Amino acid sequence: MHEFSVMSQIVSSVIEEARSRNASKVERVTLELGEFMMLGHAQLKFAFEVLSKDSLLDGAMLDLRTVKGEIECGCGFKGEASPREDSLHQLTSAFECPKCGELAKVTGGRDCIIRDISMVVPDV
Amino acid sequence: MARRLVALSKSFWGEKIILLSPLLRNMHKIVTVDMEKDILSANRDLAEQNKALLEEHGIRSFDFLGAIGSGKTLIIEKLVERLKAKGMRCAAIAGDVSGDDDYRRFVSHKIPAVNVSTGKECHLDAHLIDHALEELPLHELDYLFIENVGNLVCPVDFPLGSHTRVVVISVTEGDDMVRKHPAIFAFSDVIVINKIDLAEAMQVDPGILDRDAMSANPGAKIVMMDARHEKGVDELILALGL
Repeated sequence: MHEFSVMSQIVSSVIEEARSRNASKVERVTLELGEFMMLGHAQLKFAFEVLSKDSLLDGAMLDLRTVKGEIECGCGFKGEASPREDSLHQLTSAFECPKCGELAKVTGGRDCIIRDISMVVPDV
Repeated sequence: MARRLVALSKSFWGEKIILLSPLLRNMHKIVTVDMEKDILSANRDLAEQNKALLEEHGIRSFDFLGAIGSGKTLIIEKLVERLKAKGMRCAAIAGDVSGDDDYRRFVSHKIPAVNVSTGKECHLDAHLIDHALEELPLHELDYLFIENVGNLVCPVDFPLGSHTRVVVISVTEGDDMVRKHPAIFAFSDVIVINKIDLAEAMQVDPGILDRDAMSANPGAKIVMMDARHEKGVDELILALGL
């Protein structure tokens, strides 16, 4: 539901960066989204299209990448979260330690990071 | 025919660009710039600042999340009544999209309260709380209750800086509420299942909600309540360590 406000922050950060480099156009934005974020990809793409209209980002491509969640368990397991297909709670089953089955601490996969931007800049 | 023309003009322009490209290269280039900008880090940092400010004043804070009409306000009112009777000093922040109904209910208990209207947003964020804290007499408080906007999805991504997160649902929302929104239960410390006096009329088995809540977050404390008739208030006080 808050895809639009998150995306408007992203678009203004990108515009700020592009302006500071005198870019005439932004070609691509790479966004990394944690697996445990409550943000829908389709809604983010739609918000990106709407918000980038008539700006330096108009027509730019949004490269959305999902970053796997990471968990850390008391038993010593540390690594990628792996949701079970058959689970009642697909998302929360990802928090279970694949080694001992206990509920593990989520240590990664709750970020939303602008990784990089490709833009057209004056060649001087 | 039209399609062929488009195809032709495309290839024409394509060639043009190739022909012109050595020239263009002298004027413009495409660069990829590493940003590594964490969009939610500003909220997280502010949440940490809020928490530090509250701790500096020895205040323990609770963030109440939950569906619209699940009973968040009434539960906070019941806690405030009990704590006031014990001589504790409480305050509340009422978060809503619009209106001041919850705020007025808190004020009627003669406690300092702040009304936060988010306008369009579906959740409170640490920035809004930061400003709300400026309006509270922090040096005169023991406990702070923050009531988030009624929503089981968005508040998950926005920590506020509270010490304990409580999620409230009621049997009137149906027995599938936890299965539909597992994340908010997984990221909360205490889960309240409210209005259990209405379970029969709603033909809802609170046991199903309890089972699902336990499966979503085996580490959480689960409290069954009928807040209207004071049932479960003691259990909640115990679960919150009050």
